[in-house]
Amino acid sequence: MSTEEASTRKLILYVAGETPKSLAAISNLERICREHLPGKYRIEVIDLKKNPQLAREHKIVAIPTLVRELPIPIRKIIGDLSDEQKVLINLKVE
Amino acid sequence: MRNSQEQALQSLIDDLRQRAAEAEETLAAIRDGSVDAVVVGGEGKDEVLVIGDDASAFRNFMEAMEPGAVAVDSAGRLLYSNARFRQIFAEDWDRLKGKLLSEVLPGPASQLIGKLINPDSHEAAPVSVSFLEKGVERNYLVSARPVHLGTVRGFAVTFSDLTERVRAEAAERAERIANAIIASANEAVVVCDRTLTVTHANFAAEALSTEKLVGERLDAAIPLKFPDATGILDIGELVETSLAGTPLRSIEAFAPMSPGARDVMVSAAPLNISDDEPEGCVLTLVDLSQRKKDERQMHLLMRELDHRVKNTLALVLSISKRTAASEETLEGFQGSFSGRIEALAATHNLLAGASWESLSLRQIFSAEVSPYTETGGERVNIIGADLSLYPRAAIALGLIFHELATNATKYGALSGEKGSIVLEIHPKTDAPSVEVTWTEKDGPAVKSFSRKGFGHTVIARSLSYSPHGGTTMEFEPTGVVCRIRIPASDVA
Repeated sequence: MSTEEASTRKLILYVAGETPKSLAAISNLERICREHLPGKYRIEVIDLKKNPQLAREHKIVAIPTLVRELPIPIRKIIGDLSDEQKVLINLKVE
Repeated sequence: MRNSQEQALQSLIDDLRQRAAEAEETLAAIRDGSVDAVVVGGEGKDEVLVIGDDASAFRNFMEAMEPGAVAVDSAGRLLYSNARFRQIFAEDWDRLKGKLLSEVLPGPASQLIGKLINPDSHEAAPVSVSFLEKGVERNYLVSARPVHLGTVRGFAVTFSDLTERVRAEAAERAERIANAIIASANEAVVVCDRTLTVTHANFAAEALSTEKLVGERLDAAIPLKFPDATGILDIGELVETSLAGTPLRSIEAFAPMSPGARDVMVSAAPLNISDDEPEGCVLTLVDLSQRKKDERQMHLLMRELDHRVKNTLALVLSISKRTAASEETLEGFQGSFSGRIEALAATHNLLAGASWESLSLRQIFSAEVSPYTETGGERVNIIGADLSLYPRAAIALGLIFHELATNATKYGALSGEKGSIVLEIHPKTDAPSVEVTWTEKDGPAVKSFSRKGFGHTVIARSLSYSPHGGTTMEFEPTGVVCRIRIPASDVA
């Protein structure tokens, strides 16, 4: 694993269609990554309304939930990501 | 063996702790409303349940709305937009969703609408904004009302298109201004469309027709006759020429059907509202009736003046010749000639002051006799009602009075200290002549003119232009008596 790959965050955001909190989570995550992790993130948005079975992989219960898959260990942030400081701490950007 | 069992147990405990922490976090998130859906598993099949109301009914309603409509959360983030809103901003939903409304709207509108969707603001009154839509400015009335979408509090914002109403109001205002301009014009202003139908007419224009103009055909309502020299046959041709792009100015015409049958001066200009061909024609008609009447009066007066100047010059020439023939010395000629010309001038002055209409006999008498003595005093008296004389008689009488006064001064009543003159004006009757008598008294004894000079001729002939005019001289011992007959036709 290269250093660059190690520093890249692989982020998976689980949403439920276009519920208000899902839209807010997408919008907040894109803004935070753009401002604090420019070029150092990959976001995958998974719509559990379309594919509910994908919730099992990360044992998702509440939506929206953000999973930081890389770097390990996996971390979960539940909610619409409106608390920027909480998100940054969990992404270990500080 | 025991260690490995302890490790497995510890790992299980850690896993359980992590799960318990996650479960607590999930419950807290649900409780504080930061999630709005949960995954529910049953019989090996997972399902997503949205907490609170499913917003699909709300969205379907918004989609059917004619105004543009969006739902935003308390941060102003777009949760939904209907088709009309997407059309206004030419964006698809994938590009709009989750964006802040302030990012989508242009600056000035964004600030105004931002106040409407600010939870801390109490602005609730709708605001008017305008956007460019496909390059054309359109006007919207924007209002916002609080709504609940699932667990989220936000606002429903509607954009009602007022463009047509604003345009209609602007057009109506422009129409009112145009009507006011036309109405305030002093001259007649008529606007017609390409089919010659009158669309606007002011008060002065209405006076040119016996019918209400608006809605009528112009050529029927105000038919005009043009002089041959203009090359225009009728008002329809005038309008067509104007519509073809040639403005026509100050063309004289006659409006035979207008009340009073008027002379008018017409100008026509194309009515250009857009870059396309003219939509009609604007005509102004200046009423020339008074000007024409004044011109006719002026020509009449000029001819009259010419006639009078020629007559006067002929009279002066005659006076000059006859005075020269009757006077023996140059001094005598100068005195007599000057006196007669002054007499003529005095009457002329009076006539000019009266615009050559008619003169008072008393005025003529006073003008001619006053150079010799005070009129209206002891020595000169006038009896009888005054008469008004037309110019021909007035000039003749002025010369006669001058000659009589000259003679009276030289030889008669005014030559001594005591003599007096009485002028008696007889009233006008049905007789063809009106008589005026000049009577001298208390002067030196008189005798007939020893020498009948031009003065006598003036007295005898000045009124002879009519068979009912003339004078008779009597040389009474007490003084001269002159009976003057003025043609009744020259007495007003």
